[in-house]
Amino acid sequence: MNKIIIAEDIMQEHEVKRYFEIWRESVIRSHLTITAVFLKLANFTPSTEVERCNINVQISNFLKSKIRKTDLLFQSADGDHWGILFLQSSDVEAEAFLRRIYKMLKNNNVVKEFNQLGIKASITEIRNNHVTFDTLVEKNKEKLADDSQPMWLIERVTDYRVQPIEQVKVSIIEQNVIFRKVLETTLHQLHIPNFALEVTAYEDGYSFLQSNTYKSGHTHLVVMNDILPRKNGLEILHTLRKMPNEKKFIIYMMSERNSEGAILNAYEGGVDEYIVKPFNLRLLEAKIKRTFARFWL
Amino acid sequence: MIGLSIHFLLSVIALLLVLFFIFVLYLFFQRERENHFLTARETYIKNYSQCWYEYLFNDEIFSVVLVPRGRAQVEAIEIIFSSYLKNIINENVRQKIKEFSNVYLIKFYAQDLRSKRWSIRMNALYRISELHIDELLEACKKLERTNISETEYFQLLKIYSSFQPDLFIEKIKVPNASYSESEYRRLFVLLEEDVFIRFFDEFDRWPANIQYAVIDTAAAKKNMKYIDRLKQLLTHDVTEIKIRALKGLFEIGVIDDIEPFVPFVTSDFWEARLMVGKIFKHVPLTYTYSYLELLLQDENWWVRSQAAKTIAEDREGLAKLQQFIASSSDQYGIEMAQEIVARKQGNR
Repeated sequence: MNKIIIAEDIMQEHEVKRYFEIWRESVIRSHLTITAVFLKLANFTPSTEVERCNINVQISNFLKSKIRKTDLLFQSADGDHWGILFLQSSDVEAEAFLRRIYKMLKNNNVVKEFNQLGIKASITEIRNNHVTFDTLVEKNKEKLADDSQPMWLIERVTDYRVQPIEQVKVSIIEQNVIFRKVLETTLHQLHIPNFALEVTAYEDGYSFLQSNTYKSGHTHLVVMNDILPRKNGLEILHTLRKMPNEKKFIIYMMSERNSEGAILNAYEGGVDEYIVKPFNLRLLEAKIKRTFARFWL
Repeated sequence: MIGLSIHFLLSVIALLLVLFFIFVLYLFFQRERENHFLTARETYIKNYSQCWYEYLFNDEIFSVVLVPRGRAQVEAIEIIFSSYLKNIINENVRQKIKEFSNVYLIKFYAQDLRSKRWSIRMNALYRISELHIDELLEACKKLERTNISETEYFQLLKIYSSFQPDLFIEKIKVPNASYSESEYRRLFVLLEEDVFIRFFDEFDRWPANIQYAVIDTAAAKKNMKYIDRLKQLLTHDVTEIKIRALKGLFEIGVIDDIEPFVPFVTSDFWEARLMVGKIFKHVPLTYTYSYLELLLQDENWWVRSQAAKTIAEDREGLAKLQQFIASSSDQYGIEMAQEIVARKQGNR
C-alpha cells in the first residue's frame, strides 16, 4: 500500500471535522449555505513515491493560492483527495471556482513536469443539518472512486440541498377591517419557497403588543399602518427595534403620507420598507418575496 | 292668585304625558330602525366582503347576491369599495367597481341627487366622483342648474374634471364661485397629465390663484414632464410666479443645467436667492460652489443658512466650509459656516 503523502501547512480531515460540526448547525440558524468540493487526480498513477509526493505538494500549494480566506482547504486521511469548504457560497460559485482552476491547470501547466495531469471533482451543496462530516467525505469519495472517469469531470451530491421549511410569523396591524381582511387573505395565499407563514391580524397597536407573539425567536414580518388606535405604528416600531433580537423583525410600514420627511423618519426609525397607500397588492407580494429570497444564497 | 281648576291641570298633565309617550315611542321606533339598518349593513359586510374580494381580485364570476337590496346594503358596498380604493391601486379592480356602480348603484344616487337635503346630495356627489359613475354626468349637470351651494359646485367641478375635462376647463374660466389656492390644487391634482398641461399653455390668461395652484400642483405631482414648463416661468414678469417656479423645480429635484438659476443668485428678492440655495442641493458642489459662496455672504440670514447647509451636504462640503472660514473676511458668513460645521461634526 502506498505511503500517505501529507502536504505541509494544510489542515487534515480529522481537524476539519470539529469545525464542520459547528458550521453545519449554523446552516439553518444563520441561513449559511456551505458548499463542499472534493478533488482527486484523474487517470494518473505516479511511477514513484517521490513523484506522487511532488504532485501532491504542488496541487496543494496551487489550491491554497486560489481559495479565499473564508474557505477551508484540507486533505483527506488517505492523501488522495483534497476538500474545500466554501462558506456562504452555493454550488454555482463552487462550480465557477472549479471551471476557473481547471482552465488554469489546462493552460498554464501549474503542476510542472506533468503536462498530462488532470483532476476531477464533486460538489455538495449543504442547506440543512442532516449530514455528518464522515458521511460527506464518504459520499464524495464514492462519487470519485471510478478510475475510468474522465479528467475535468464535475460530479454532484444532491442529498443535502433541500432547505428545511422555516416557520415565519406575520403580523398585520391595520384598523380598517376590510383592508385588514384583504391583507390577511393575500398573505395567507402567498407562497414563499421554504418558508411557512403564520399570519395573525390585529386592529390596533396595543392588542399586538399584548399578544406576546412578537416575543418568540421566529423571524417575524410585521406589516402595519403608521396611524393606529391606541399604540401607533411608530411606537410599535420603537418597541420592536429596542428589543435585543430586533434583527429578526422585518417591518413594512404602510402610510398615506408621501412626504420626504415622513418617509425618511420611518426609515431612520428602522422600517425595512415604506409603502405609500394606495398601493398595488402584487407589488407588496413581490417585495415580501424578494425580502425572503435574500435570506438564502 | 291665578285660579286654575284641578280638572284643567289634570287635563294638561294628561296631554303632556300622552305627548311624551308618543315622543318616546317615536324615539324607540327610530332607534329600532337605525339598529335594523346597522345590522343589515354589518351583515352584508360580514357575509359578502370575501365574495367581493374573490370577484374583484381573483376574477371569480360575479354573483347576483352581491347586488344591493336597500339602502343599508348600498352603504355596506360603499364601505367595501371605499376601503379598496383608499388602500389599493389596481386598474382592473377600479374598472370593475366602476362598471358595477354604473349599473347597480346609479338609481340610488340619481334619487339622492334629487333630495331636498344638502347632506344627501353632497354624499351622492362624493360617491359619484369616487366610484366614477359617469352615467350620472347628465344628472349632475341638471343639478348644477338648480340653486346649489358653493361646496356642491366645487364637488361638481371635481366630477367634471374626471368625466369631461373640457367642460371643467370651460367652467373654471367663468367661475361661479372663487376658490382658494388649496381648493384649486385639490381640483388640479385629479386631472390627467394631458389636461393639466393645458393650464401651462394658457398660463397668463388665468387669475393669480389658479396660476399659483397650477405651479404648486406641478411640484406636488413630481412629474419630470413639467420641468420645462416651470423653467419657462423663471422669466415671467411676476416675482411671486418666479419664486414658486423655483420652489416647484426644487421639489421635483432634477436639475440638468444650472444656467437658468444663476441670475437668481443676485436677485433683489431674498426668497428667490433662498430657493436657488436649495436647488443647488441637487447639483454637484463643483458646479455650484462659487455661487453658494456668494450666497453664504448674503445679507439675509435664511439665505446664508441655506447656502451653508447645501455646501455641508456635499462630501467635500465640510472642507470647503473650513476653507471659507480660514480665507473669508465676511464675519456673518464665517459665523454661519462655523455653526453648520459644528452641527455637522456634532452629528457624527
